[in-house]
Amino acid sequence: MENAPRIQKEHRMTMTGAHVIGSPVPRVEGPLKVRGEARYSADITLPGMLWAKFLRSPYPHARVLSVDVSRARALRGVKAVLTGADIPPRLYGRRLRDMPFLARDRVRFIGERVAAVAAEDPDVAEEALGLIEVEHEELPAVFDPEAAMQPGAPILHEALATYEGLPAPPPDIPNVHSLARWSMGDLAQGFREAHRVFEHSFRTPFVHQGYLEPHAGVVEVDGSGRLQVWATNKTPFVLRKHLSESLDLPEEMITVQPIYLGADFGGKGSVMDLPLCYYLVQRTGRPVKAVMSYVEELTAANPRHASVITLRTGVTRDGRFCARHARAIFNSGAYGAMKPTPFVNLGGAAAGGGVYRIPHLQIDAYSVYTNGVPCGHMRAPGEPQMIFAVESQTDMIAAELGVDPLEFRLRNGLAEGDPLVTGHRLTHVRLRQTLEAAGRAIGWGTPKPGPCIGRGLAAGERHVGIGQGSAEVALELNGLVRVLTGVPDTGTGAPTVLRQIVAEVLALPLGQVEVAMGSTDQLPPDSGAGGSRVTHVVGRAAWQAATTMRRRVLERAAQELTLPAEKLDLRDGWIVADGTRRLSLDEVTKRHGPLQVVETYVADHYAALTSFSVQAAEVEVDPESGQVHLRRLVTAHDVGRVLNPQTHQGQIEGGAIQGLGYALMENLVIEEGRVAASHLGEYKLPTIKDIPPLETVLLEEPGGPVPFEGKAIGEHSISTVAPAVANAVFDAVGVRITDLPITAEKIHQALRARPAPTR
Amino acid sequence: MTSSVTASPAAAIRRIRIQVNGQEHECEVRPNRLLVDFLRYDLGLTGTKEGCGVGVCGLCTVLLDGQMVASCLTLAVFADGGEVTTIEGLAVGAELHPVQDCFIEYGGFQCGICTPGQIMAAKALLDDNPTPTEEEIKEWMMGNLCRCTGYYKIVESVQRAAGRLRGAGAGDGATARQGPAGARAGRLAAR
Ligand code: FES
Ligand code: FES
Repeated sequence: MENAPRIQKEHRMTMTGAHVIGSPVPRVEGPLKVRGEARYSADITLPGMLWAKFLRSPYPHARVLSVDVSRARALRGVKAVLTGADIPPRLYGRRLRDMPFLARDRVRFIGERVAAVAAEDPDVAEEALGLIEVEHEELPAVFDPEAAMQPGAPILHEALATYEGLPAPPPDIPNVHSLARWSMGDLAQGFREAHRVFEHSFRTPFVHQGYLEPHAGVVEVDGSGRLQVWATNKTPFVLRKHLSESLDLPEEMITVQPIYLGADFGGKGSVMDLPLCYYLVQRTGRPVKAVMSYVEELTAANPRHASVITLRTGVTRDGRFCARHARAIFNSGAYGAMKPTPFVNLGGAAAGGGVYRIPHLQIDAYSVYTNGVPCGHMRAPGEPQMIFAVESQTDMIAAELGVDPLEFRLRNGLAEGDPLVTGHRLTHVRLRQTLEAAGRAIGWGTPKPGPCIGRGLAAGERHVGIGQGSAEVALELNGLVRVLTGVPDTGTGAPTVLRQIVAEVLALPLGQVEVAMGSTDQLPPDSGAGGSRVTHVVGRAAWQAATTMRRRVLERAAQELTLPAEKLDLRDGWIVADGTRRLSLDEVTKRHGPLQVVETYVADHYAALTSFSVQAAEVEVDPESGQVHLRRLVTAHDVGRVLNPQTHQGQIEGGAIQGLGYALMENLVIEEGRVAASHLGEYKLPTIKDIPPLETVLLEEPGGPVPFEGKAIGEHSISTVAPAVANAVFDAVGVRITDLPITAEKIHQALRARPAPTR
Repeated sequence: MTSSVTASPAAAIRRIRIQVNGQEHECEVRPNRLLVDFLRYDLGLTGTKEGCGVGVCGLCTVLLDGQMVASCLTLAVFADGGEVTTIEGLAVGAELHPVQDCFIEYGGFQCGICTPGQIMAAKALLDDNPTPTEEEIKEWMMGNLCRCTGYYKIVESVQRAAGRLRGAGAGDGATARQGPAGARAGRLAAR
């Protein structure tokens, strides 16, 4: 396989006594998925179920003068039609509550819901939408975030200051709902020390997360009056809380059922259509299902924020960074509701210092309303934008100084004990090793195989995620162990890794450990999937539960055998003393009954430990067309112990190809508030033909907070691809692209404007 | 079995006979009923997924008379008299098809939403060409998007399955027929 990803490992560790940790165990849910038996939200059908559809605004900004639903209500098969006037006037937000479920008197983006229909059949519901008459009065709209910040710009939310969940009084800048600032040192002092100062601006587009399963949900009120929910949501306990708050129902009356998710990548954390489904259930007394079309996904879900980022960077005479002011403007669209962070902004902006020692650093991130689709989180939120800017500028400055980009990075790189702008003093810093490993793999400094071929690299760092995880480990009568998790399977492989952790602690064959997803009734609250968190916090909860289980089993066996528990051990489903099998697990349960342990683990602050990632690209640019051919990609990571090489590698490969899409093709073009792509065929995602030969370098070192000393990997390979490609393009033909994606057209134009230097 | 009908006049209803995974069905459908909806909602075979709805993502891929089709673009009435194979029809009892086995063993999926379509496409490829080159695999499978895996493990899964189908003697997928990427034009046969 010429294109097979090559994986090279440095400092491979062996773990004494390990029998399943570190092996490429196939997915526990694999058989269900390959048989088509894994159930996703859109697969749920209930007796008497109705279908919901939503009428959406055709205007980017307008007053809604009237909504006439009488003809729609009269259509045969239509069971309910709701407008904003029919539901409580509540605003929703994952933090900042600024978004109505149905517009009342105002719409702020094309795609905003204005009316909801429930009908016997989706086609009838669709037909009913066409019978609703809405009278609008258009209002001046604003689409560009910088324009939206100017005095006199149309204001989207006059009542912003009164909204619940506003992190701090917003700055006195039109349409800004959040200004997040990180700083260290003294910026003015830093720039006084600078020998040269460089300022560059970068632009990144909106992109959709690209999960292939559109949002879907089914809501029913069961015989006991409880709300049952099946939904494309990765955080069931948070969903339960938000539904409870939105619908004025006690949490105890809501059950979020376990379900498979057709991936998430940050996009499936909101209530989306579920509250409206509930109101339709209330009206009709029947279960209601809503499935978004992919067109609705592209136009009205919650894509990654577009950004404008300006970096002003001071460098000393000896080529060291001394000061930087990073200013990021994130285009949030019409609402801030889809952002879950307490500061209603994007945490990835904190990467504005890159992986460098910059003593005087300030980062300002503005989240700004415009009349577009509300933006949300996508894999490593804020980071792909910021790292594209930072790592492009690193090369631009190196070029100005006449220093090799790799050498420049090594000179300025973070070292042991250096602080990040977030306040952490880093330990176990292996940036140098990761940079050098990536450099070696791409052939840095060696002759290039032809003209118009260039190499570039980019570096980033990312923490291990935090939050709350819960897990139950139960020993059944038959000696089988069952692990229950409240995190839905989004495809990352979490259930498989939890199974390995529990099997390892209990020294059981994998076949004796089953994993299931539980509903929100079955477990204590859990933060859910996301933020490079699950293997850490849910893994810890499972590890603790299994460890407690082990102790209890040995205590019971000790009674039985009249031996001290310290003399006993577990091995392959047996209680062992002095190397001989004494009791089987099922003998213990048969005499003492089944055992059940539930544990919760909370990590509430980031560790001083991070993971460095360096990706390197070799590209060939067609000097005529400007077409970029990605000849090779190297992905190098400073990782902890790898618990499952197959799922770990899957995260790296998937993230890298999403990064490739961001670099070269993905672009949710929004013109005057209207998404230009009218279906998925017009929105380019990477296909199987776009993948380059990939080489992975893993620098394993124990010491991470994940059970068995692992670290995180889920969001680590996405952010550095685009700047690595941009840097390689510059190396190939001397053209610097500062706005993503890097298209042939942009390169072609730049080449025509400025003849390429001969190399 | 009758699909639910409300707004369309009864006269438009068509009676079709269709074999799905070896089982005969005689149903009444509206002429505009899509095969994907017919399979998922009339027959309850939800293994076939729907993503884009416009024939570009491959989630809804099924075999109609052995040909790969996008069931979101195919009307149920066009399958009248035909034989459809969906993901539910691949395994024989507890025994998975080698393509299914290899997708599990070589990590050819993560979330699994694209997997039924990927597996049906891979099966159609290997029925047609038991020894595809890597280029041929990519050419054939390019209509099946996957957002999770980055595709590397899908390529490997299909290669391994090819090897396994050729029998143990041929080795496990490492060798592939040399030759030009000769994938068929019009992979999604229109009916
Ligand atoms: S749903 Fe049929 S090809 Fe996408
Ligand atoms: S496995 Fe998730 S889209 Fe392919």
